[in-house]
Amino acid sequence: MSQSYNRGLVEDFGRWREFTAGMWAWILHKFTGWVLVGYLFTHIAVLSTALPASNAASGVIAAETDVYTTTLQGLESLALVRVLEVGLLAVAVFHILNGVRLLFVDLGVGLEAQDKSFYASLVVTAAIVLASVPTFLEGVF
Amino acid sequence: MSTQIQEESEEATETETETAPVERESPGDRRREAKRTASDQRVASEPVGEIEGDTFRLKVFRYDPEVEGKMEPRFDDFTVPREKGMTVLDALIYARDHYDTTLTFRHSCRQAVCGSDAFFINGRQRLGCQTQISDLDGPVRVEPLPHQDVVKDLVVDMEHFYDQMHAVEPFFQGDTPDGDLEEQRQSRENREKIKMSTRCIWCGACMSSCNIAAGDNEYLGPAAINKAYRFAMDDREEDELKEHRMKILDQEHGVWRCQTQFSCTNVCPKDIPLTEHIQELKREAVKQNLKFW
Amino acid sequence: MAERYSSFRSGSRSWLFQRVTAAFLVVVLAFHFFLLHFVNHASEVTFAGTSARMEQWGYLLTMVLFLLTATFHGVNGVYAALLNQGLTGTKKRAVKGVLAIAGLALAAQGTYVALVMSGVM
Repeated sequence: MSQSYNRGLVEDFGRWREFTAGMWAWILHKFTGWVLVGYLFTHIAVLSTALPASNAASGVIAAETDVYTTTLQGLESLALVRVLEVGLLAVAVFHILNGVRLLFVDLGVGLEAQDKSFYASLVVTAAIVLASVPTFLEGVF
Repeated sequence: MSTQIQEESEEATETETETAPVERESPGDRRREAKRTASDQRVASEPVGEIEGDTFRLKVFRYDPEVEGKMEPRFDDFTVPREKGMTVLDALIYARDHYDTTLTFRHSCRQAVCGSDAFFINGRQRLGCQTQISDLDGPVRVEPLPHQDVVKDLVVDMEHFYDQMHAVEPFFQGDTPDGDLEEQRQSRENREKIKMSTRCIWCGACMSSCNIAAGDNEYLGPAAINKAYRFAMDDREEDELKEHRMKILDQEHGVWRCQTQFSCTNVCPKDIPLTEHIQELKREAVKQNLKFW
Repeated sequence: MAERYSSFRSGSRSWLFQRVTAAFLVVVLAFHFFLLHFVNHASEVTFAGTSARMEQWGYLLTMVLFLLTATFHGVNGVYAALLNQGLTGTKKRAVKGVLAIAGLALAAQGTYVALVMSGVM
């Protein structure tokens, strides 16, 4: 065998139509995982404004003009942030539901229904997110 | 090659030119052309162009590092008569025997036992001999198994797959019983437990479908792990042996790389519940490690 | 023989911890979302409100645990994802080091912030 041909990753995204439920579940779980871990870092960064805020005079805190309060409320007043929060909710809910599905798979429970449980987690995610939209966007539009 | 029917190749190519103009210039054709003029003893057989009845298009991946025109991989189209009960392997054999004798693929038993004809058929790993043409949408597209190096046409390099299989010591290592005529018995329940795992035919479809195995070359892969399951769960092997087997599986690139995408389970031509077996071994490894704590 | 396995380092511990933290996070993350978007609206968060919540020991403990498990789950998840891509050798060790430092820094900073919010520090 003198030579051979490496076709590389054949089953790449060019073949997304042929992906099965388990593969989609993995892709989405990984994607939502990256988003959540990225959010965790920024979340702690934003909340770190509590450090200077804690030194503020009690009057400033009572008047809600400390750095922490103004930063958070300033962010929350942006429509973009609110929309991104709905996205974050979708990502978190999917990651939770599919995570539960994966825990069952790890326990060896319901392996025959793994594709159905993935579709179910998608549907439930959509339902929860849609139902939460009013609460999340309240007062910004 | 006794099965080849030379006359047909030229006309067959003509029917193909509409779809694959490259075909005309291929060295295979030139070679056949030369062969044809050289040979006087041509036998007139039924002309192509008029294949009776229903036909379908077979698209086959072609590559040959030793033939100039085939060094660049491409797809060739063949028109194959549709027959009742025809499998993809039958269609490939037809194409090879009637159109292009250089078309290369592995096959042997034709009944899903030898495991040599796993291909990537219409975007999924399947055995050629087990896949009915009538179950597929046309054109039927046959490619070599993904994530393995292509040696020629549909033939892939299985070396890495075999290495991973051998890495798990896929053979029985239990003590032989004392007496000469003593039998090594297995309980019915234990036989049932490992039954499905014994069905592996080493075709490599699972490994090819696994996108972790595609990225991580050290990952043992579903087939090897299933093989290890077959022996680790066999009661006739002693506990120390089981421990030894679990040690092989319980490494970073062992069972832990499985991401439960169920790709292997979906494509296994012998319906082995691969993911289930891998998951059971993960739990087994956790249990064993907890014991040592 | 080609690449089989490089070491006998077990992967069972991180796998198990990933699942255990997952089970915990499912509950706490749902609670966290519910509390800060439905019970208290995120847009109405104030420092006074936050420290009032954080002054409760049970809540503070839950949040610190939430932070620690989430950090482990996230960082370990990223590491596993990279291993799945076939990360080996020096690169693997480098990635492991960077992720460990990032994780520890996040956990330390987060815990510090939580303690400040609760008025302990």
